[in-house]
Amino acid sequence: MKRVPTISISFLLLFSVCAGAREFQAQTAPPPAPLKKVSSIQVLMIQSEEVKLPAEFQISLYENLIQQLQKKGGFEHIYRDGDKSATGDVVVLHSTVRGFKKGSEMARQVTTVAGKTSIDVHCQFTDKDGATVLERDVNGKVRFLGGNLRATLDFAKKTAKITQENFAMKSGS
Amino acid sequence: MRVVSKRVTVGFLCLLFNPLAAPSFAQQPANDVKVVQVMGFEDVKPKAKGNLKLENGNLQFSDSKAKAEVAITSLDDVITGNDSQRVFRGTFGTLTMFAPYGGGRFLSLFRSKLDTLTIQYRDAGGGLHGAIFTMPVGQADPFKKLLVAQGARTSVPIQDDSNNTAPKADAAKEQKP
Repeated sequence: MKRVPTISISFLLLFSVCAGAREFQAQTAPPPAPLKKVSSIQVLMIQSEEVKLPAEFQISLYENLIQQLQKKGGFEHIYRDGDKSATGDVVVLHSTVRGFKKGSEMARQVTTVAGKTSIDVHCQFTDKDGATVLERDVNGKVRFLGGNLRATLDFAKKTAKITQENFAMKSGS
Repeated sequence: MRVVSKRVTVGFLCLLFNPLAAPSFAQQPANDVKVVQVMGFEDVKPKAKGNLKLENGNLQFSDSKAKAEVAITSLDDVITGNDSQRVFRGTFGTLTMFAPYGGGRFLSLFRSKLDTLTIQYRDAGGGLHGAIFTMPVGQADPFKKLLVAQGARTSVPIQDDSNNTAPKADAAKEQKP
């Protein structure tokens, strides 16, 4: 009868030692180099050379991205493409469309399951010298409710979050 | 006196209903279009309904609450397209989703076509902006012609309707999403 608690205690000890070792290993692993925080960001116009993207989607991606970055906060200045005052401590966001499926709002409303709109965008963050500091693939989609342009809002929200987490000096909303 | 007044009236009516005078009114392209500003203009709410017009070299959008204008010469690109939207929209459109026996889905099949006008312009600091408008079908191309005639630039050339000698298939077609 006394053996049972002894065995269980030894199991508990073994488990806690293993867990502690794992935690220690995780702590000693080299963390990814932290990205330099900047006070400003410049958003360049969305490029779509490989994929034929309708003009309204291109403008909607660009405008929604700037709007979402302003909403998230964390940057002193958000510069637009071609802004002459974009100097100093600034990171530049280049976005290139890699995939686009227009979908159909009517198909979504009628069938619920068909007609998904999807946009795949490759986002590249560079410093003022042009060196790449971060690259991410972001997808924007609308599955059920809303017009096709709503996919651009989904992309903008995700990209603004990535940008804010990695580069913003101040913590935004 | 009565004969003179009758002659004047008849003459006035003839002038009014002159068949040669009618086309001159019809040929005037409208430079004031009812639009929905989907997004882009600063200080104007998205999906604001208002008028888009050309005035004193400016492209002006105005609704009951706000007014915004851009110099036509600062327009880098003007592109037209087409789209469609539900006939039953707004609160009623939302309520139809709860209609029994898939009634809402059936009503979604009824759609109206519309034109889109997308512009790109630069502010005083060189910053690039974009704006999207939707308008009744058939109004985007004449409006684009007016803009281009007044100094706006476009990456998609306007199809010249007067040039009937060229085959239609070879003519430059505007991108229709």
